[in-house]
Order: sequence, then C-alpha cells, then structure tokens
Amino acid sequence: MAQNSSLMSGVPELLVLRLLSAREMYGYQLAVAIRETTREAISLGEGVLYPALHAMENRGFLKTRRRTVSGRTRVYYASTPKGRRRLNELSQEWRRIAGGVEWVLAGI
Amino acid sequence: MPGGRFAGLSERLRRAGISPRRVRRLISELEAHFDDLVAEFRLTGLSQAESESQAANRLGTEDVLAESVIARPELRSWTRRWPWLAFAVLPLLSLPVQFVFSMAAAVAIFGFSVHTLGMTPLHPGPVPWICEALQAYALWIAPMVAAAGACYFAARYRASALWPVVGSILIAILGAHTNASFQWSPALPKGAISAGIGFRFPDIGPAIGFRVLLTLVTILAPFLWVRRRESRCSLS
Repeated sequence: MAQNSSLMSGVPELLVLRLLSAREMYGYQLAVAIRETTREAISLGEGVLYPALHAMENRGFLKTRRRTVSGRTRVYYASTPKGRRRLNELSQEWRRIAGGVEWVLAGI
Repeated sequence: MPGGRFAGLSERLRRAGISPRRVRRLISELEAHFDDLVAEFRLTGLSQAESESQAANRLGTEDVLAESVIARPELRSWTRRWPWLAFAVLPLLSLPVQFVFSMAAAVAIFGFSVHTLGMTPLHPGPVPWICEALQAYALWIAPMVAAAGACYFAARYRASALWPVVGSILIAILGAHTNASFQWSPALPKGAISAGIGFRFPDIGPAIGFRVLLTLVTILAPFLWVRRRESRCSLS
C-alpha cells in the first residue's frame, strides 16, 4: 500500500513504542507484529525499521539487550520509562488528529 | 546467506560517517532479518532463490536502506562532526600524556630501586636500562604511536586525510622538540632523573629534523600511500 509520507510522519515511532511497551522484541518480530496488528494496512520497508530503532535508542526511548537464540545473537528492544511517556504524548496527538479528521468526515 | 550481501551498504554507511560499531550492529541485524524472511518465505513453499529475492524486496534496496540511515544525523559518529578533534587534537594531546606516563614510570622505578631495594649508582642492576628504554619510548616511539593512532582511526572511520595529516605533522614537530634525560653516575650519590619539553624554534637542528622526518616517513607516508590506492580502486 502506498503511503503518504507527511501523513505517516511519526506513525512508525508510535507503532514501535506501542508494540514494545507490551513486550521486548527483536527487529524481525517487531516487523511481523506491525504487519499483523495493522492487518498490513501499514507497510514499512522492514530494513528501514532499524535506523528508526537505533535513533529511538539514542534518544532514550528504547533500551536493548543481546540474547543468543538458536546460535544467533539477537538484539532485543524494550521500551523505557521515557519511551512510555513519549508513547503517551504521541498517542494523544494521534487521537487528536484522528478525531479531527473524523469530525470532518462526519460533517460531509 | 552470502556474507557479502550487505558489504556495499556497510562501506556506504562508513563513508557517510556512521561509526564502524553501529554499522556492524546494523548489518548484523539486517542479516538476521534477511535470514528470518527467507525462512518465512520457504515455509510458504517458495524455492531458496525465490525466497531470497522476496526477502530482499521486503527488506528494501541498498539505496533505500542507506538513505534511511544517512538521513538521521544523530546516527553519525562524533568523529564526523568534529574530525579536527578526533584526528588532530586528541592524538596531539596523547603525546604529552604518553611522555608524562613514561617519565612517571621511570621516576617510580628509579625511586623504588633507590629507596626500597637500596640500589646505588655502583650497583644499579637493570634500572638504567629500563629507564633508558622508557626515555627512548618517550622521545622516539610516542610520536609515532600518536601519529599512527590518528591515521589508523581516520582510515577506520573513512575520514578525510586532511586532519590526520595536520595532526601527524604537529605531533612530529612537538615530538621532535621533546627532551628527556636520565643520569645515574657514581658522581651522584643516589643518581638523578629529569625530563622536560623544550622548544628551540627557529633553530631546527639536524637531529630535530631527523626526528620529524622519521615520524612522517614511517607513519604518514604509508597512510597517504594506502589512501591514494584506495581512492584509485574506488574510482576504477
């Protein structure tokens, strides 16, 4: 599905923080979770997820730990308290925008 | 999966100023993700080749992946933001630090041998040799270590040659003007040790010129030769 980049701005961050607030995941698990929970309505280039994750880790929203599973080292990401505060902000902002759009659609 | 699948991406990211450590982690995560996608497609009945092709599509092209990282300035290494600090100032500062540490070690060995072991100039044991080795390190080796560090890290971080060259020249000049001396002769009851940094500009003697050239020829010349060879290879 084609995505409008300006409308989509901030959405990957919101999705990642929401999914990681529930449990820690490594990149592939996160990409599958995004696909499944959005019913593929949102398609991110899966490789593009990693720079976003690294940036969020840099900003203190995520923390990582390495675990070796089946002989392969996985980097697991989890939300931090700062990340959960950021999730609240982004959720409120998203609901405000979505509510505004709903009002417009309902009025037509 | 083929080990070189992300080799091109890795080089692009390093040239764009992403730190080697972060590049290694990104590539390792992408490789693992690629393998997981291939396994996922294999479960749907696709062949290995088809699965790899689908996995590559889902992961994104090298251009897309590179752009997504490069577009985030916060992922760039601090050496890209302050190359003058990383490849000139810090290596230059490491020179007096090395000098002080090697002379402090010589003083400590000297003091321990005189005060604890009771050695005298008549029975010095290996102390003079150790102190002379430390003195030689401070005068001859430390500038080369500092310049080599600047060049090595600049090559590792794919940085421009400008700052390591400037740093190496300054290191060579400062290193050549450094003096240290060690004396432990029967004329002195307990021996003496002294160290200092001296500047004799513009009186550049042949010995100082030789020391400058030694650092530049042994460190800077091979670095520049390798850089030139690399740039020719990347052009061809």
